[in-house]
Amino acid sequence: MNDVFRFKIAIQTMKNHWKTTIIITLLFMVIAVGYAGMFPAFEGSIAEMMDSDFYESFNFFPHADQMHTYVGFLTLELYSIFWLLIMAIMLGFIAASSISKEIEGKTIDLLMSNPVSRKQIVIEKFAGLIPMFLVANFGTMLAVIGITAALNESLDYGNLIMVHIVSIPYFLAVISLGLLLSVIIDEKMKSSIIMISILVGMFVLNSLSLMAPDYEFMGSFSFLHYFDTYTVLKFGEIDVGGIFVFIVFTFVCLVAAMIYFERRDIAIS
Amino acid sequence: MVQKNIMCPNCKSKITIEGNPREKVYITCPKCNTNGFFSFPGEEPLQKTTSNAIETRNLTKFYGKIKGIENLTFSVKKGEIFGFLGPNGAGKTTTIRTLLGYLNPTNGEAFILGKNINDNIVDIKREVGYIPGDLNLYGHLTGRRFLDYFASLRNTEMSLLGELLKVFNVPLDRKIKGYSKGMKQKIGIIQAFMDDPEIVIMDEPTSGLDPLLQQKFYDFLHDQKKKGKTLFFSSHVLSEVDKICDRIGIIRNGNLVALEDVETLKGKMGKMIKVKIKEKPETFIGPENMKIKDGWIEFVTNDDVDHWIKMLSKYTIIDLEINEFSLEDIFIHYYEGQT
Repeated sequence: MNDVFRFKIAIQTMKNHWKTTIIITLLFMVIAVGYAGMFPAFEGSIAEMMDSDFYESFNFFPHADQMHTYVGFLTLELYSIFWLLIMAIMLGFIAASSISKEIEGKTIDLLMSNPVSRKQIVIEKFAGLIPMFLVANFGTMLAVIGITAALNESLDYGNLIMVHIVSIPYFLAVISLGLLLSVIIDEKMKSSIIMISILVGMFVLNSLSLMAPDYEFMGSFSFLHYFDTYTVLKFGEIDVGGIFVFIVFTFVCLVAAMIYFERRDIAIS
Repeated sequence: MVQKNIMCPNCKSKITIEGNPREKVYITCPKCNTNGFFSFPGEEPLQKTTSNAIETRNLTKFYGKIKGIENLTFSVKKGEIFGFLGPNGAGKTTTIRTLLGYLNPTNGEAFILGKNINDNIVDIKREVGYIPGDLNLYGHLTGRRFLDYFASLRNTEMSLLGELLKVFNVPLDRKIKGYSKGMKQKIGIIQAFMDDPEIVIMDEPTSGLDPLLQQKFYDFLHDQKKKGKTLFFSSHVLSEVDKICDRIGIIRNGNLVALEDVETLKGKMGKMIKVKIKEKPETFIGPENMKIKDGWIEFVTNDDVDHWIKMLSKYTIIDLEINEFSLEDIFIHYYEGQT
């Protein structure tokens, strides 16, 4: 059984994604620097805007009322959209195609001709995607630290680090959900698009639940309900229950993916 | 002998019976005369280990309601080249993919090297190489990286790799997506044999190989057989099966219709007589299997060639051919009336 711990499929998965890893990391570093760098120029006009009713039109995004502060601006422009949504979509897209592309491309036949179990394939594909988001995660964090220091804005770096640490279980949950879809749906485009729809759906649900009290209960179906970057960034408050939800969710998805993949037929079309 | 106290299901009276473990005894209740069977419990039968390399028992696979294969029972002996014949869609690939654990059998069981495929598939794959029929490789890897990756997954000595690379020369430093079909097929062969497995299962492995390479491949298979390796070979190309296989199984519509030594099968089939007569061919009354095709009378006969020649002597013969059955004829025989 020592083969299980050699993680050769995981290492190959990592190697397959090294270019994507660099591109995503650089992209998010540029986005972070770009948006944060805009703040001094917009600070005044946003503060004026806050006095009018105009900001209400931003209500769809959580914490829009804090947009005139650096932390609020960072949350709204960077974390709530690019980080929690776009980054999740990118990782979800890759995870949702990880096994489905081997089934669709029929390379799974050769992969499984080696002495590897199906459970092992699921676990190693999951493990192989982790380094990618860890690099992007901490790369982006360093970029935010750098630009904040350069702008001389006030930001609690402890809280910033905390945001990026809490991001780990959040993205693990995203990847595990993508992986579950990728063992169920054989076409990589289909599974990836379903994954994106789920993530966008969760974003909308969370925003609706914050805007309309009647829909508040719906927020609990959204990942974003369990991870509010603003409260972490501003007050250093961590939603321990939320982290627990992400970890349990990840575990459930992985086990479900292993069981489903173990039992299913791998038919060729 | 074991003694057992049981209760009559009808009158609830106690009955004491004797029997051997796993024995099924017929009982009549002394009080109410109810009859029934009782099976003595016993140890599970010994694992049905076998010296065959591959063995299937009633192996069945349905895709929903669509039949893939049904009740396939056959065995492949250690050290033989077994040809698995059938046209496209007959169930060859389904059989292979079920054997290798890609598909869950609907019914029946299969053993490879004595191990049940349901419980030991990962272990089995240490001893079994596989060339898929629809070979798809990782296009973004170079040949070398691909072979390295698979060698690392097998985690054993690649004892045949050097020899294989000499016979099946591929551009190892080029990305596989730039390979021709023949090169891809060659690397498929290399990966299956490189750790010198006991059994190699091949699904139409010669497709895409030019005749020269096919011959190299057959020679290689013969060498492997000499070393005692077992080779399972599916094909719809009869000439190659004729050339290299010791035994064949013919599959038709998911059912095994023949399982025989190639030579025995040929002998059994008798002679094929083709004759052209001046008279109307319909006037000749031949055996039941007689057919008239393009003015030729065709029929198959086993031992009574003499009888039919004498019958034919009453006609004016324009042309006459008597042939041994080729595997191709046998195949057509089993598929008669099918498209």
